[in-house]
Amino acid sequence: MFPRLRSLWRHWRNRSESEQEMDEEMRFHLEARIEDFVRGGVSREEACRRARIEFGSTENYKVDVRHARRVTWLEDFLLDLSFGFRTMRRAPGFAGIAILTMALGIGANTAMFSIINGVLLRPLPYPDSQQLVMSFLADASGASGKSSYGVADYLTTRDNQQSFSHFAAIALGRNSFTYIGGSEPQRVRGTGVTGEFFAALGVAPLLGRTFDPSCDRPGRPREVVLSYRFWQGQFGGDRNVAGRAVLLDDERYTVVGVMPPDFHFGPNDSDEVWPVLQLAQRGARPPYWIAPIGRLKPGVKAEQATADVSRIAEMERRVFPNSSYDRAVLLPMKTFLVGDARLALLTLQVAVLLVLLIGIVNVANLQIARAASRERELAIRSALGAGRGRLIRQLLTESVLLATMGGTAGVLLAQWGVRLAVRLAPEALPRMAEIRLDTRVLWVAGAMSVLSGILFGLAPVLRELGEISGKGLGSKGAGAGQPARRHRLLGALVVAEFSLSVVLLAGAGLLVRSFGRLLAAPPGFSPQHLITMQLSLPSTRYPEEPQVVEFYRQLLERLESIPGVQSAGISMSLPPNLLAMENPFRTANEPLIPGKQSHLAEEMTISPGYFRTLGVPLVSGRFFVEADRARSDQILIINQRMAEEYFPNQDAVGQRVQTGDADARAPWETIVGVVGNVKYQGLDAKPEPTLYVPYFENGWGAWSREMFLIVRSRASEAAVMPAVREAIWSMDRQIPIASVRSMDALIEDSVGRPRFRTLLLGLFAALSLTLAAAGIYGVLSYSVLQRTSEFGIRMALGARSGDIFRMVLGRGASLALLGVAIGIPGAVGFSRLMASLLFGITPGDPLTFAGVTVLLAIVALCACYIPAKRATRVDPIEALRYE
Amino acid sequence: MAEQAQLLPGTLDLLILKAASLGPLHGYGILLRIEQITRGALLAEQGALYPALSRLEHQGLLDSEWGTSDNNRRAKFYRLTPTGRKRLREETQSWNRLANAIGAALSAKTQEG
Repeated sequence: MFPRLRSLWRHWRNRSESEQEMDEEMRFHLEARIEDFVRGGVSREEACRRARIEFGSTENYKVDVRHARRVTWLEDFLLDLSFGFRTMRRAPGFAGIAILTMALGIGANTAMFSIINGVLLRPLPYPDSQQLVMSFLADASGASGKSSYGVADYLTTRDNQQSFSHFAAIALGRNSFTYIGGSEPQRVRGTGVTGEFFAALGVAPLLGRTFDPSCDRPGRPREVVLSYRFWQGQFGGDRNVAGRAVLLDDERYTVVGVMPPDFHFGPNDSDEVWPVLQLAQRGARPPYWIAPIGRLKPGVKAEQATADVSRIAEMERRVFPNSSYDRAVLLPMKTFLVGDARLALLTLQVAVLLVLLIGIVNVANLQIARAASRERELAIRSALGAGRGRLIRQLLTESVLLATMGGTAGVLLAQWGVRLAVRLAPEALPRMAEIRLDTRVLWVAGAMSVLSGILFGLAPVLRELGEISGKGLGSKGAGAGQPARRHRLLGALVVAEFSLSVVLLAGAGLLVRSFGRLLAAPPGFSPQHLITMQLSLPSTRYPEEPQVVEFYRQLLERLESIPGVQSAGISMSLPPNLLAMENPFRTANEPLIPGKQSHLAEEMTISPGYFRTLGVPLVSGRFFVEADRARSDQILIINQRMAEEYFPNQDAVGQRVQTGDADARAPWETIVGVVGNVKYQGLDAKPEPTLYVPYFENGWGAWSREMFLIVRSRASEAAVMPAVREAIWSMDRQIPIASVRSMDALIEDSVGRPRFRTLLLGLFAALSLTLAAAGIYGVLSYSVLQRTSEFGIRMALGARSGDIFRMVLGRGASLALLGVAIGIPGAVGFSRLMASLLFGITPGDPLTFAGVTVLLAIVALCACYIPAKRATRVDPIEALRYE
Repeated sequence: MAEQAQLLPGTLDLLILKAASLGPLHGYGILLRIEQITRGALLAEQGALYPALSRLEHQGLLDSEWGTSDNNRRAKFYRLTPTGRKRLREETQSWNRLANAIGAALSAKTQEG
């Protein structure tokens, strides 16, 4: 093998040199022979003649010599490759379009696959991450779905479980802390985690250590682990940071370690700090606000572990007979983190594969049209003795070469696109930070390129085979007979393109319409001219309820006196999707059944001016008023949805409700008003029963430390905010003002994910539409060119240009419509797949399908217009002379 | 000239190796050497020598080098490589076995006849 390769290499490196040497060697032979003859007494002329006869054809032997040096297929391949490059240079337009098409198709696929790979396929970035599970409470009927854990359940499970090597928990719903360290107090993102959290994930710190497992016991010194980013930003990367104190929410934490830069956790992987979560056993099962994370012991099956945690949940249920959860379910941690992104991603991947298929069909189209001009070339090669297999290999090599060049450009495009997406929409997907073009993605991109090349190379090959053998050199290329079959094949390809486009366009159309409905869905209030922000009062400086209540009373007064501010209000939750709490309730009309989960309602504390500020309509009764502060009984305002469902055909005002776990001794709360429905769980959510409580009511002040502040103002945010800040800080310099956003921006944010997928699918659909239009245009142009003489004859025989025009247009339209008809079942299937991504629209929405059909028909007609027009301009004399 | 025998097909490679085994030669020299050692057996066309040389070189049986010929011209000289020498030995043996076998077969036929 070695000398062969060496010889091949030498041959390739010095191809012209070795040709020269071959010439020289043969010339030397001839001249030496001639001289021998001359020396023997023959005339020089006669010597030359004899020497040449004896030698034979130098050209033939040169071919043989070249052949002798060749390493068969590899060299053939290299020859085909260089031939391919030359062919490409001869037809740069074709090559350019093919490469561009493939670059777009493979680029989009590579980008999409790298997202799927990063989000769905790759294991979580923790060692043996498939062993990590999260636990949720459930009940036997399954009626109340999965619930987070309460402290009692967590502590009992931690101390009694036998299935996990580590069992930790994270606090849900509280994702930021007030950090006092810089010039002004700020909110930093973070998650409270228990002592074994880092041990469960199995990640070592970059610096220092992770938690002492017992530091989550109440009374122990509080420890905090910092993210790399926070360490760099706040401590300048100080290597002696361990042991320093950090104030979070006015609690003192000791820094024990710093995580490596590639460690991420928390919502959108954005956590900056991980303070230890100290949990104390308490006398009730709710509230449910923590999520356990367990690392399964090696060899323990998920079912065993589920039985283990369920057994403990059942134990707790017996301790707290009023509660209902009697079992637990485990979810792989990855499933929990990835959430509902899976379906959207798969839908998009299917879509983008369709785009690639359309691209392949398009290039195949071009190849076939171009094959006409290459017919003579192939015929000559065939006549010179190239076998069928050899010709196929050459054609396929050319196609794969094109596809690979396109694929390479596509990978670069994808690299750039993914980076752009991660930067522009870092929160559009979970695990977004982990998306990158790794080797697996590159392999897939490579395989996709080669496969695409083979696919679009196959069409001309199949067609060519039939023809090369029979005719060839004699044919004039633009001959009239055989194109019939070619036209059928081209027609079929156009039909395929349109049927694939229907699928994509219908999907995109549904998403666009669904997104439109989502934006048009009434949020229940008027979102314009609202500025929102988050305040939080540390329990160290506001330990008692009256202090909290008094702070807000004064603050709201000061805010409403700012010129330009129409009204201001506070609330625990904020529409459209920042719900802080749900609570069970029971109306006075229902019997009390211990242990049976009652209905859940969204519940929040608000200020009297909240509804006025948001613009929520009053349906009956009244809003809260300042005078309610003096009342000793408990009062509520409910929403219309709750009034309709639980107090049908009667006035809800004056009715009574108990909240919290079923308990006969719980106080009765009286309904004083009914307001319009406001969405707190996303614009796409159905309205849920909602309970509003005045923030100054006894027992609620402690819940109101973290509140959203809403200010309604005609003036711009920039004009009002300085005065708002001043008003807040005039009361307390150390209150951080977090997440200042307009309500419009919040609504925008809340539809970030649907917008992301609508945008992407829309982009893919537009791409497919362009490709399909280009495809039908190309095919018709080609067919008009091929049929020039036919049109000439028709016109010579009296056909009018209008007839010709209609004939060409009719062919285009019928191809397109046939494609649409074939594609519609596929589109219906595709839209079913994405049914749960749709809002306010059914998968088979007839209007969307009709619209898509009309759109495609229009595009097809537009694309056919130019070739049809060209056909009418055929000059009969010219056309017939052409023949 | 008409008396001269044509080379048996397949024997050219063997003869080239044999010719080159007697010392480095250029292509024309190999032709002359073959004519000499075969007492004038002819190639149908002399050009056929060159694909054969190329093939043998490609197989690593011959090595080539540019040098100067007797009449002071640049020429490509071929030399037998160790692999080529081994191959020549093997081919010679198998050729001899074949020749003996054929000879025996032919003479046996004569006896019977």
